[in-house]
Amino acid sequence: MNRSNPHRTAIRLFLAAAVLALAVPAGAQEEMAGIMEPVTPRDHIRGNPAAPVKLVEFADTECPLCKRFHPALQRVVDDYPGKVAWVFRHFPIAEIHPKAPKEHEATECAAELGGEPAFWAYLDRLYAITPSNDRLDPAELPRIAQHVGLDRAPFEQCLRSGRHAARVAEDVADALAAGAPGTPYSVIVAPNGRTYAVVGAQPYAALRLVIDIALEQK
Amino acid sequence: MNPMGTLEQNPGRIVIEAGIEVLRRPAYILLAAAIAVVVLAAALWLPNYRLLGAVFTTPGVALGAKLQLLAILLGGLVSNFGVVAAVSTATTPVLFGVDVAMIVYFAKRRRARLARGEIAAGFGGAASGALAAGCAACGSFLLLPVLSFVGAAGALALLPLGGAELGLLSIGLLLLSIYLIARKIAVPPLCELPPDGPVQRADRESHTTPGRNPP
Repeated sequence: MNRSNPHRTAIRLFLAAAVLALAVPAGAQEEMAGIMEPVTPRDHIRGNPAAPVKLVEFADTECPLCKRFHPALQRVVDDYPGKVAWVFRHFPIAEIHPKAPKEHEATECAAELGGEPAFWAYLDRLYAITPSNDRLDPAELPRIAQHVGLDRAPFEQCLRSGRHAARVAEDVADALAAGAPGTPYSVIVAPNGRTYAVVGAQPYAALRLVIDIALEQK
Repeated sequence: MNPMGTLEQNPGRIVIEAGIEVLRRPAYILLAAAIAVVVLAAALWLPNYRLLGAVFTTPGVALGAKLQLLAILLGGLVSNFGVVAAVSTATTPVLFGVDVAMIVYFAKRRRARLARGEIAAGFGGAASGALAAGCAACGSFLLLPVLSFVGAAGALALLPLGGAELGLLSIGLLLLSIYLIARKIAVPPLCELPPDGPVQRADRESHTTPGRNPP
């Protein structure tokens, strides 16, 4: 009987893992981040819209990891003034967070009534108070609007109308086209158009490292 | 005398004693550790294989930066998982490594095959662990597509832990597998009874093959 040595088995496993770790990414180089809509003035942009690097985030307001990731992206804009623009796109996953699509519509209502500053203030406040996992009371939505300085009545009228549902759905379609497997999903776009897709709420150090690489791609 | 005690011992003691018997040998510790490291790294790197591919193929990026990214992504275990998911993601590779090491030990020592149930429990645990790891990001890399395919994606919203239950299931299945193999290791080689149980006294005289020889 051929009795292989467990040492050899372990070494073979290490080698197989090393080959996998290097070969899989190398083979995937042709399709880095799917086909994403380009950043335009239609987008919600935080920071310098003309920044050389764009970080496009697809997020779900009821995703706990998006809530956790939100401050990291705020920090990116602060740490790279003028160099990195944060672009927010809607990706509510209704299958697991049925309340999220309406919350995303609420952020659009905030933008309609108060412009970009109101959109970002509303998003910041929403993430700050939501317990995540679909546990935000919908009654909080107009209260958040008031908190960021919007009038409650027109906000409620906007939310009831559902007129921004199509906009949210467009972003969801874009997320799927961009290859987002879940949220948060961030695509860092270098000045030369090269893209780096970050899946999940990765450590801030990972974001910095990838942004620094992207900034070098002229 | 059986150094491992008898099957009347509690399950925890059986597992611990069998685990010590296997893992006191450096080769099996190395095997278990190698499997644990490989599975854990895969769980943390594979969701970002496209990022790694993009960085590794970008011209002019230093090797140090590439290796640094690999190391930093391991920190995703803290930043990218809830408490339950992080615990199950860290525990599953360790249990899977121990499970495989015990299976290899048993197969080599006894030159015997394991029942399908023992193998199935181990690999079922690893598979459900892989599905649970997909829950690292909301929406999951594996679980949601799988559930969507069978039209049950909405069921995730009903789970109190949002799918992290699979991680606990994988831990349970791996512990079951380890217990089953530990029982085999704890029992000394015996003449096995025939599948239909002990032969009755009345039948014994006419029964010519009451059992099989030990391996």
